[in-house]
Amino acid sequence: MTALNAQSEASIGENSVLSVRHLTKSFGGLKAIDDVTFDVAPHQVTAMIGPNGAGKTTVFNLVTNILSKDAGQVLFLGRDLAGMSPVKIADMGLIRTFQSARVFPGMTAIENVMVGGHRLASHSGASEMLWLKASRNEERRVLGRAEQMLELVGLAPFKHTHATELPMGAQKLLEVIRALMAQPKLLCLDEPAAGLNDTETQELANLLRAIRTLGIPVLIVEHNMSLVMNVADHVVVMDSGAIIAAGAPSEIQKNSRVIEAYLGGENHAAS
Amino acid sequence: MLEFLQICIGGLVVGSIYAAIALGFSLVYRVTGAINLSQGGFAIVAAMIGYTLGVAWGWPLWLAIPSAVAATVGIGVAIGAFTFVPALERLSNANVLMLTAGLLTMIEGVALVVWGSQPYAMPPFSGEAPLEFGPIRVPTQAFWVLGSTAVCITALWWLVAKTKLGKGLRACAENPAAASLMGINVPRMTLLSFALATLIAAIAGVIVAPTTSLQFDTGRLFTISGFVAAAIGGIASFPGAIIGGLFLGLVTQLATAYISSLFSTAIALLILLAVLIWRPHGLVQAVVGKRQDTRDEVKAVAHAAKLPASLAWPLAALALVTAAHIPVVVTDNGILSGLVIAGILFMTLMGLDVLMGYAGQVSLGQAGFMAIGGYTSGYLSINYELAPLLAIVAGIGVSLACALVLSVVTLRLRGLYLALATLAFGLLIDSCAVGFLDITGGPSGLVGIPSFSVAGFEFATPRAMFYVVFALDAIIFVALTGAMRSGFGRALKAIRSDQMAAAALGINTVRYKLAAFMISVTLASLSGSMYAFFFNFLSPEMVGTGRSLELVAMLIVGGESTLLGGLFGALLLTLLPTVFQPLAIYKTFASGALLVASFLYLPQGLYGAVVQWAIRLVGSPREAKESTSETSARAL
Repeated sequence: MTALNAQSEASIGENSVLSVRHLTKSFGGLKAIDDVTFDVAPHQVTAMIGPNGAGKTTVFNLVTNILSKDAGQVLFLGRDLAGMSPVKIADMGLIRTFQSARVFPGMTAIENVMVGGHRLASHSGASEMLWLKASRNEERRVLGRAEQMLELVGLAPFKHTHATELPMGAQKLLEVIRALMAQPKLLCLDEPAAGLNDTETQELANLLRAIRTLGIPVLIVEHNMSLVMNVADHVVVMDSGAIIAAGAPSEIQKNSRVIEAYLGGENHAAS
Repeated sequence: MLEFLQICIGGLVVGSIYAAIALGFSLVYRVTGAINLSQGGFAIVAAMIGYTLGVAWGWPLWLAIPSAVAATVGIGVAIGAFTFVPALERLSNANVLMLTAGLLTMIEGVALVVWGSQPYAMPPFSGEAPLEFGPIRVPTQAFWVLGSTAVCITALWWLVAKTKLGKGLRACAENPAAASLMGINVPRMTLLSFALATLIAAIAGVIVAPTTSLQFDTGRLFTISGFVAAAIGGIASFPGAIIGGLFLGLVTQLATAYISSLFSTAIALLILLAVLIWRPHGLVQAVVGKRQDTRDEVKAVAHAAKLPASLAWPLAALALVTAAHIPVVVTDNGILSGLVIAGILFMTLMGLDVLMGYAGQVSLGQAGFMAIGGYTSGYLSINYELAPLLAIVAGIGVSLACALVLSVVTLRLRGLYLALATLAFGLLIDSCAVGFLDITGGPSGLVGIPSFSVAGFEFATPRAMFYVVFALDAIIFVALTGAMRSGFGRALKAIRSDQMAAAALGINTVRYKLAAFMISVTLASLSGSMYAFFFNFLSPEMVGTGRSLELVAMLIVGGESTLLGGLFGALLLTLLPTVFQPLAIYKTFASGALLVASFLYLPQGLYGAVVQWAIRLVGSPREAKESTSETSARAL
């Protein structure tokens, strides 16, 4: 364990987007997260996998300060996130999605995506009230980008559909492109494929590859092994709140500890 | 010391009534997760029926009182079955709370129609002569009050803790979904809790009737005191409700005796606000943890009606031209005044829509800011001859300052507690409007406020005011439309539907909620000032809590998150009583009944209905929408 941590610590590039150092969190007496250290490199898709209850989502919540950590440090683009509000963190460009699709009810698909553009909007409420040219142009620009995003995932025909009326898969994709609208410097996706069928998962994989092509670093928590092995450049494996392995997908697939944790000792290769 | 003891006994008597009503709040809240404000209304209905049977018809009291209670419970069950129970399945808990506010108004309206607005006095059950314990004299009715409250509390405790029915109620309280899977009929349990609360309220009403003067709107006081008591004590706990009630009774009686009767409510409300800051869940923490509110998540947010752009512009032009010609065509000053009043209220309603419709922040005290604006500008223009425009600005300044202080409380609260805090604020302003005689003129009002004028030109007639109000409304509407249709409005809607997801996209929820609040306060204050200038007079009930509830009714009836909906509601509820004078007595009833009906059957309000009608008249909305967005896309 210590050797593993030392190894990953040694390999930290100066320019890693997110560095999580010795993250620890207990709920009651139970250590949910135990000394977790990993990095997200630029232009890469980093996947975090592990059995249910391994603490993956908790790591997400600790990184974005939705939960407060007991110990450890989180650096985003070289800045310590300690004490920052979730809003501030999002404002810096660390955008996350949630495990259950959290589209905004009462808003259409296109409106949902447009909300994502909020972070970059330079206009103020006052200039909107005055119908200033700048804010109307901005609005048109946001609308145009949102339409492109919907086009990208094939949801353009449903742009005026109320988001909650879309099927689950479409809602998940909508949440991802909404996050993408915010032009994240790091995109954190919490189980985007949960509840998706095979076709929808394929669309998600295509979207993730497109995001990587754009050069946006991604940290993804996922259960779907084939998706992870397809799109990830680097895989971090968690079990019982600790990291048990890290490396390229091909290495992870052969790692005996991972196979044991994942498949309960049965001799199956993750496909 | 003797006097103190005497006051304390009085306090306990009043407090036990508060405790009984608070118990009803607590019961319904625990079973359904919603607040039922209609209880005070049932209390007064029971008392009034008791009066009619026992005094007017001369029935013996032993028959009249139980009959009154039974009749009230019957009415309560009917109302509950047709409004409260279906509402719980369709509406968010904050909207259920407003629906029950509508029920309260509706019941008051019925009482007004049946019994009129004059006060009634009920004779004590066991004669006028008080019992004497040495030097202390206790009216016999006090024993009736204390005794029946004790019986109510014991019976309720027994029912909830010891019977199978109680087990069902508790199951609903902890997890309605699981309870329904276990074969418990949740709607029936909901109705049962509503009926029990009505029973408690009815008993409290008839028992307390001889100690107070009865009027159609006395019920509001019961509701408010019971709600405040429940909130102070802890709404999710029965002992909390009882402690809160007794505490509130003692504090108000002691404050009345030793400080001033004018400020006894104010003191109670300040205690409530303090409790909301330091112990938001009340003094007594419930043993059962705060229940997971599954209901709120399932219920979909009503989609606001949206007029396609191809229709919006021609209709806007048509409305503009029509409105400009109204003063030429309409010569009746009464109707013109009604239009002006509706226009003035529309200012507040647009702000309230930004706050409630878009940002999803409940406000039951919006008229409080109308009062601050109106009294400030009225006072300044009378005593310092300040120009109306400056007086308005001063009023807005004072209102914003008060709003900043209030936001310390409200920004931390959501849903039920937010509703409570805003209600308390409105009531606090009410009692200040009555209490600060030197500034506000007290209950009889502030007289001699000049008419609105700009640079020496006076707008004294309804016709002149019509143009001023019309211009202001148009400017505010255009400005707010600009903000609500773009990033600002989207951010508010996002916050309304999912605060955490909004924050995760970098939307500063605190800043946006504060901005929405400040916009609504500015507009309410402006509208309050215009109201004072138009009437040349301002009295507490013109801008009191009744007005706040009426504003909510107007907004819901007209249609939320549409900006324009408020105008429909304001016109309907202002003009109908003006045009049909004989119907004026039904106004209170209508505003309550329309609110309830809109919540249940017209979720998009009148505006939504009009939009749908217009769309059907012209053609499919989707096509119209598609074509407009395609043109804008091409414009890129």
